[in-house]
Amino acid sequence: MGAINEIAARLLETGEAKVVIGYGEGSFGSVRPAFARNQEEAEKLIYDKRCTQNLAMYVYKKEISPLRKLAIVANVSTLRGIIRLASENQIKNGDIITLYINELGEVIECKALSEIEICLAEITPEIKPEDKELIDKLDAMTPQERWNFWISEMESCIKCYACRQACPLCYCTQCAVEVNQPQWIPVAANTSGNLEWHITRAMHLSGRCVECGQCGEACPVNIPIHLLPIKLAEEIKNIYGTVSGMKIQESNTLSTFKPDDKENFIG
Amino acid sequence: MENDFEPKIVAFVCNWCTYAGADLTGTSRIKYSPNVKIIRFPCTGRIDFMLLLKAFSNGADGVIVSGCHPNDCHYTSGNFHARRRWVVFRTLLDFMGIDINRITFTWVSAAEGAKWAEVVNTTASKIKELGPYEAYRKITNEIWES
Amino acid sequence: MARIGVFICHCGENISATVDCAKVSELAAGLPGVVYSTDYKYMCSDPGQSKIKEAIREHNLTGVVVSACSPRMHEPTFRKACAEAGLNPYLCEMANIREHCSWVHEKGDATTQKAFDLTRTLVEKVKNNHPLESIKVPVNKTAIVIGGGVAGIQASLDIANGGHQVILVEKQPSIGGHMSQLSETFPTLDCSQCILTPRMVEVAQHPNITLYTCSEIESMDGFIGNFNVKIRKKAKSVNEKLCTGCGLCTTKCPTKNIPSEFEQGLANRTAIYVPFPQAVPNKPVIDRANCRYFLTGKCKVCQKLCPTGAIDFEQEDEIIDVKAGAIVLATGFEIKNTDFFPEYGYGKYKDVINGLQFERLASASGPTQGAIRRPSDGKTPEKVVFIACAGSRDPAKGIPYCSKICCMYTAKHAMLYKHKVHEGTPYVFYMDIRAAGKNYDEFTRRAIEEDGAKYIRGRVSNIYEKDGKLIVRGADTLLGGKPVEIDADMVVLATAAVSCDGSESLAQKLHVSYDPYKFFAEAHPKLKPVETNTAGIYLAGACQAPKDIPESVAAASGAAAKVICLFSNDELTREPIVAKVNRMPPPIFSTCMGCEMCISICPYQAIDKENITNRNGEVIKTIAKINPGLCQGCGTCVAFCKSKSIDLEGYSNKQVYEEVLALLNN
Repeated sequence: MGAINEIAARLLETGEAKVVIGYGEGSFGSVRPAFARNQEEAEKLIYDKRCTQNLAMYVYKKEISPLRKLAIVANVSTLRGIIRLASENQIKNGDIITLYINELGEVIECKALSEIEICLAEITPEIKPEDKELIDKLDAMTPQERWNFWISEMESCIKCYACRQACPLCYCTQCAVEVNQPQWIPVAANTSGNLEWHITRAMHLSGRCVECGQCGEACPVNIPIHLLPIKLAEEIKNIYGTVSGMKIQESNTLSTFKPDDKENFIG
Repeated sequence: MENDFEPKIVAFVCNWCTYAGADLTGTSRIKYSPNVKIIRFPCTGRIDFMLLLKAFSNGADGVIVSGCHPNDCHYTSGNFHARRRWVVFRTLLDFMGIDINRITFTWVSAAEGAKWAEVVNTTASKIKELGPYEAYRKITNEIWES
Repeated sequence: MARIGVFICHCGENISATVDCAKVSELAAGLPGVVYSTDYKYMCSDPGQSKIKEAIREHNLTGVVVSACSPRMHEPTFRKACAEAGLNPYLCEMANIREHCSWVHEKGDATTQKAFDLTRTLVEKVKNNHPLESIKVPVNKTAIVIGGGVAGIQASLDIANGGHQVILVEKQPSIGGHMSQLSETFPTLDCSQCILTPRMVEVAQHPNITLYTCSEIESMDGFIGNFNVKIRKKAKSVNEKLCTGCGLCTTKCPTKNIPSEFEQGLANRTAIYVPFPQAVPNKPVIDRANCRYFLTGKCKVCQKLCPTGAIDFEQEDEIIDVKAGAIVLATGFEIKNTDFFPEYGYGKYKDVINGLQFERLASASGPTQGAIRRPSDGKTPEKVVFIACAGSRDPAKGIPYCSKICCMYTAKHAMLYKHKVHEGTPYVFYMDIRAAGKNYDEFTRRAIEEDGAKYIRGRVSNIYEKDGKLIVRGADTLLGGKPVEIDADMVVLATAAVSCDGSESLAQKLHVSYDPYKFFAEAHPKLKPVETNTAGIYLAGACQAPKDIPESVAAASGAAAKVICLFSNDELTREPIVAKVNRMPPPIFSTCMGCEMCISICPYQAIDKENITNRNGEVIKTIAKINPGLCQGCGTCVAFCKSKSIDLEGYSNKQVYEEVLALLNN
C-alpha cells in the first residue's frame, strides 16, 4: 500500500475527512477520478504519471461540497486551482485537506491553505511543450490563417459545455452563456455563437486561469480550446507580471489596474 | 478607384468625455462621415466586451471604443479597468484571427471635438479600404441560411 | 405591450436643414411598439412639451423618445415634462440627432437615415427601461473651500454668513493669496491690502470658519452632500495654541538669507517666519528645508527664546478627516517667471522683472517702501519698458490663451511708475489693448493720455545688457514694423498667468476635469460657469482661467450661492442610475457567487458583502451588495461580472444589447 492510501485511510478513519478525492484505475489503462469514503475505497486510490486531471473542480460540485471536510489528492495544477478558488472565496481555510504529491513522489499533507502557498512558492509553473508549440505556430500564422484554423474548429463545437464542466474555475450557478435576458450567446450550436461562447469563456478566465488545460482535455471533438485562456494567461504574465493561483491574497489582474499600465494601441 | 461601400461602424463611448466631445464636434459644426453611430455608456468601464462581439455578429464592419483619457475618468478609474480589459480582449481576438484593424480604441476628451471628427473619419476610411467584414458575415449568415 | 411615442424636433432649422424630420417621424411610426410619432419645430418649447404631455395622456404611452439635441442638454427638460404628464421620467430617452447628426453631416438621405437609425436605437432602448425612483441622500451642511486667496476668502465668508460651517484650506502659511502682494488695484488705484486685510481678519474671527493653513487635500471620496476629505496639515514646528505671535523668534533666527516668497525674491526672510506683517494667522512657521536645526541638528535659538514654549521641532504632519457636503475650488493661478523667456535673458538680468515683482516694488509695505528702485543697484530707473503678452497668446510657447489681467495691470504699472518717478518715461509694448470692463478703457486711456505712458504696438524680439542699460529691441507694427530700440533701466514682463503647480493632481483627487492648460473645467462654459462636472464641487476665481479681482470675487459669490442652495435642502435627490446585484428566489437567492472581484473594481467603495442567512441565522451564502448611496453608476462592475449578476439601471445589459442590435439591423 502506497503513502497516499495510508494517509487517505487515516483521514477517513479519524473522521478528519468524509471523502478523499483522488484518482483510481479506469478502464483500458486510463485513470478516472475516484472518491474514497471508506477504508476499502481508500486502498484503491492510485497516483502516477497519468494523474494529470485537475481535481479542484470537484470541491464545489453540489454532490461533493456537502461532504466537507474534504481531502484531495493534488498535482500542481490542482494546488493552483484550490488557491485560486480560495482567493475567489469559494473555499475557506480549513474546508479542505490537500495531499500534494511532489516531483519525488512524496505526499505533503496541507491542512491550511497557507501550506499550499508554501508548496507553490517553490514551483515555477510552465505550460506543456506541446501547447507552447501550437501557440507559437498559431502566432506565426497570418491573421487570416488563424481565423481559418479557429473557424474550422468552431464549426465542430457542439456546445456540450464539457470544457466548462471540467474547469476548476467555472463555478457559477448561472453561466453567462445561460443568461437569456438578453440572450448574449445563441443557444444553438452555430459557428458564430460557438465563437462568441469560447471568446467569452476565455475572457471570463483571463487573469484567473490556472493553466491546467482541462477544458481542452475534456473536449469531445478535440478543439484545443485550452489554448485560449492559456494564451491570455501567458500574455498577462508578460504584460502585468501576474500569475494566477499562486497566492490567496492576489486579486484578479482584470479587476485591478495601475495608472501607468502600458498599451500601444489606444490613440 | 471609386469605393461606394458604406461601412457600418458602431461607436461605444462614455458619456462624460467622448460623448461630450462628439457634442462639441457638433457644436463646432465639424463634418464627419455618417457611417459611425454612437451608443452612449456612462463609462468605458461599462462597455462589455460581449457587446463588441454582438456588433460584429450583427453586421458591423468596424467598431470604435472611446472614453476619457487616463487620469480623467469621471469615475476616476473606469477607463483604467477598461484599458486592461481591452489589452486582453484585443490579444484574444488577434490570436483567433479576428481582424483587430476593425476596432479603433481611443481616448477623446470633452474638449476634443476636432479629434472625434478625425477619429471617425480615419476609422471610416480605414474600414472602407478593408471592405465589408466578409469573413465574419460568412459565419453569421450561416445561422440564417440553416 | 410597449406603447412608445416618438417626437422629432426640428430645432428651428438646426436639425431640419439637413435631416428630413417628417420622414424620420413617418419611418418611426412604422417601428414595432411605436403608437405615436410626430415632428415639431421646437420640442423643448412650451407648445413642444405640451405635445409630448398630450400624447402621453391621449395614447397612454409607456415610453417616450425625443429625437433632438444632446441629452446632455435637454434630457432633464423632457424627463420633467414626462413626469408632469404622469409618465415616470426614466421612461423618456433622447436620440441625439443634432450634435451627432444634423450638425456634422451634409443634407441628404444618409443623414436622414442616420437620424432614423439613432431614433430606432433609442426606441429599442426605451422599451426596456424601467420606471425608477430617485434616491434621497442626506446633505452634510459643511463646505470645504480650497485656497485662501481673494476668491476663497469671499466664498468662505459668503457661505459662513449664510449660516453654514466652512473649512478653509490654504497651502501657504497665510491666507491672502496674490491679492495680498499687490500694491494698488485697477481701475481705482485703491490699496490692495487695505481692502483685503479686513476680509482676512474676518475669516480668522468668523465663528463658522475653520482655517487650516500649511494644509493640502490628501484625498477625497464620497459624492455630493457626502464628501469625505482627508486634509494634510503640514508640520509648522510651532504650536499654534501656545504661540502668541509675539515675533521674537523671527527677529533672532540666525538664518536670514532666504529669498522671501511673498516679496518675490526681492527681500529675504528668516527660517522661522511670518510671510508678511498682516498674515492671517499671524503666527510664524519654520521652513524646515532652510532651518539650521533641521539641516545641522544644532541651533534651537527660537526654542530657547520663545516665552511660551511654542516651538515644537518634533511636530508631525497631521491628517484631518472631515465630512462635507460641498467643495469650492479656489486655488488660483501662478505667473510664469522671467526665466521662461530665452529672448529676454532667461531670467539672468536682475533688472528684468515680472509683474508681481513690480507690485512689490510699488507697494508701500514692500522691500523699497514703495519707491521704484531697480533690483540690481537700487537706482531709480529713468526709463522702464513694460512688455504685455509675455508668453500669453503665443502658441509657440504653449500658451495660446490671453492672460486677461496683463493689459490692465501693465497700464496700472505704467501709471504707478509715473506717479512715483515724475521725470521717468514708461514704455509699453503691447499686441492689443484689451480693456473690456467697467471703467477699464478709461483707465488705460488715462495711462496714455494723462500719465504719458508711451504705448508701442509690437513685440519685443530680444533684450540684452549694454553699459548698465537694458537694450530692448522690438518693432512698431503701427509704423509698418519700424525697428524700435530703447535703452531701458528696467524691464517689467507681464508674464503669462498659468495654472498652479499641482492643480492636475488635485483635479484627479477630486475627480474634476481640467483643460489642456490644467485650469479646472466648468460644467458648461456659459450656463454652468461655477459648477464642475462633479456634482457638489464648484469653482471660484482664477483656478478656472485667468481672472481679475472683481471677476474672481463674483465667481466666488456665485459658487457660494450654489453651495447655499445645495445646503438649503436637508436631503438631496440623486439619479437612480445605480448598479444592483440580482436577487432570486431560494435556493439560489442570487446568481452572484461572491467572488468579490467587483469589490476591488469599484471606484467608490460602494460594494460590500452581504450574508444571506436562514431562519436559524446561519449564513447560507455570501454575495455582493451595492450601496445605492455610494454607487455613482459607472457600471464597471456590471461589465466585469462574469455571471452577469450585476446590472445597471438606465444602462442595463438588456438595454445596451438591444441598442446594438437596433443600431445595426435596419
